[in-house]
Amino acid sequence: MSADTERDPPSGDGDVSRKTVPDREGQSLLEVRGLDAGYGDLQILTDVDMDVAGGEYVTIVGPNGAGKSTVMKSIFGLTSHMGGTVTFEGEDITGLRPEEIIHEGIGYVPQNDNVFASLTVRENLEMGAYILDSVPQDALDAVFERFPILEERQSQKAGTMSGGQQQMLAMGRALMLEPSLLLLDEPSAGLAPDFVDDMFDRIDAINDDGTAVLMVEQNAKEALRRCDRGYVLANGRNRYMDDGDVLLNDEQVRKDFLGG
Amino acid sequence: MGIAETYTRGRQFAVTRPGSVLLALVGVVLLFDLLAGLATGQHSFSGVGSLVWDGLMRGLVVGLAGIGLSMTYSILNFANFAHGDYITAGAFSGWATTYLVAGLGRADVGALLLVGAGGSVFGGSLGIGVTGTPLAVLAGILVSGVVTVGLALFVDRTAFRPIRDADGITLLITSIGVAFALRYLMQFVFGASVRGTTAQPPAVGLYLVDGFVRIDAHDVALVVVAGALMLAVHLLLQLTKLGKAMRAMADNEDLAQITGIPTERVVRAVWVIGGGLTGVAGYMFILWKGTLGFNDGWLLLLLIFAAVILGGIGSIYGAIVGGLAIGLTASVSVIWIPSAFARAAAFFVMIVLLLVKPEGLFSGRTTA
Repeated sequence: MSADTERDPPSGDGDVSRKTVPDREGQSLLEVRGLDAGYGDLQILTDVDMDVAGGEYVTIVGPNGAGKSTVMKSIFGLTSHMGGTVTFEGEDITGLRPEEIIHEGIGYVPQNDNVFASLTVRENLEMGAYILDSVPQDALDAVFERFPILEERQSQKAGTMSGGQQQMLAMGRALMLEPSLLLLDEPSAGLAPDFVDDMFDRIDAINDDGTAVLMVEQNAKEALRRCDRGYVLANGRNRYMDDGDVLLNDEQVRKDFLGG
Repeated sequence: MGIAETYTRGRQFAVTRPGSVLLALVGVVLLFDLLAGLATGQHSFSGVGSLVWDGLMRGLVVGLAGIGLSMTYSILNFANFAHGDYITAGAFSGWATTYLVAGLGRADVGALLLVGAGGSVFGGSLGIGVTGTPLAVLAGILVSGVVTVGLALFVDRTAFRPIRDADGITLLITSIGVAFALRYLMQFVFGASVRGTTAQPPAVGLYLVDGFVRIDAHDVALVVVAGALMLAVHLLLQLTKLGKAMRAMADNEDLAQITGIPTERVVRAVWVIGGGLTGVAGYMFILWKGTLGFNDGWLLLLLIFAAVILGGIGSIYGAIVGGLAIGLTASVSVIWIPSAFARAAAFFVMIVLLLVKPEGLFSGRTTA
């Protein structure tokens, strides 16, 4: 069932370096520059740079506690901002609250508790479009087409679905506003191995339809294989940035971060 | 499904849930005692019927008043002890309006606005009641709701919002302070006396085996208003965008924020809806029982807490069912025990049921 999508690596230089900003200035969708952030007084991220171009598929990998999820949360306004800027579609969104950022066209799927368990599947999707005056029928149809199981289970309580189905629902909810950038935090976490591939295929499909994806993944090798570009984070700082397969084949990265 | 299997399952249940079995046994003994009493003529059918009806009415008052408490609990995560005094505030504001509309020109305006403080005007002599002065009652219901909404929003703005992110205990203690302030402010303005508020309402007797169960016009008004409001809340929660957002927020506030639900606006809506229901509940409570004092809401609050906890705190359906259970227990228990222990019986039942089902009757169901 897995139609492995071979991706052509985007044109660009191929050597692993410590550069943190890609050589494609001017078409950036998301631009993070020198970001310092954390929780309360505790600083987690130091001077983090990150870019996502329109339609690009970018992964963040790194050891536990590297601050991968914190980058996502900081982009979405869920952490204490301590310095640096976040720019989206040329507009400074640093320090905006989540309910303001969602208006800008960023969707966020957190790792845990990412569905409203006591609401039905359909109600969860409707909540995804809360900021609109009415539920957008075409977006709903698109979500149902992408995840047919959600259409079948429309009136089921989300909390009674399997982990994989809940993950699809969480993505569906985030897609209701047809965001230009989707932030995915560990989409394969907690899934049975059989479903992990399926989940990655679905993410590929979302990206193929033009939505830029920024994803944090434990399953680093598979994520790097599928993405356009990857960032390796360690101790809250940028370590490496390059095309996914370049990172995947880099000896140093393999040894230090991908388990050999 | 052989007998042996049923037997095994029954044994297993008895071993794993001894509390439930004991409870069922006690229930059977009480029921047997009641049937024996009815057979020997110690209790009359109509007497028991009257107690059940009275219990249902009390249950409706408690349930209606409990919805607001349950709502604020599920959305704001704290037990609002000022809720009882919101009930009283609704009652005084509504009844001042009713007195004013019913007695204008017949009595001093000041005395009417103070709901006959110090025995200056009597509701009975003004002929107040749902049939005697329907307009005055309707105006009272509306004003009680509106004033309590205003009060709830004002208190939220001044007392609760500044400490929204504090833990539940801080909010709870703050709410106790608000409760005292409100209660004694009302005592200061309206006086400490308990006054009669209504004239004797017309009633019908329903024939039941050996006598009559008396149902008066105010019982009917209570059933209509409480039923309509409960249905309205149900429809609001299930069908409207706001109601769904309220349930979503009760479910997972962080996710609600990420999804773009304007959480502060939802909180305000909760106070508006919860406050309105609470004020009207206070008004209907007084209409039904016919007397009004500054302690009424506070005293009712204990029963409301029992009902809300019994139903599974945070669930509005739990609040309604819990209210009916508590009301029925408090009324019907006098068949077996002296009436002075009726309240105690209600709490006893709550404790026992929670021992058997600690999460409450409706936990995990749709909340808001």
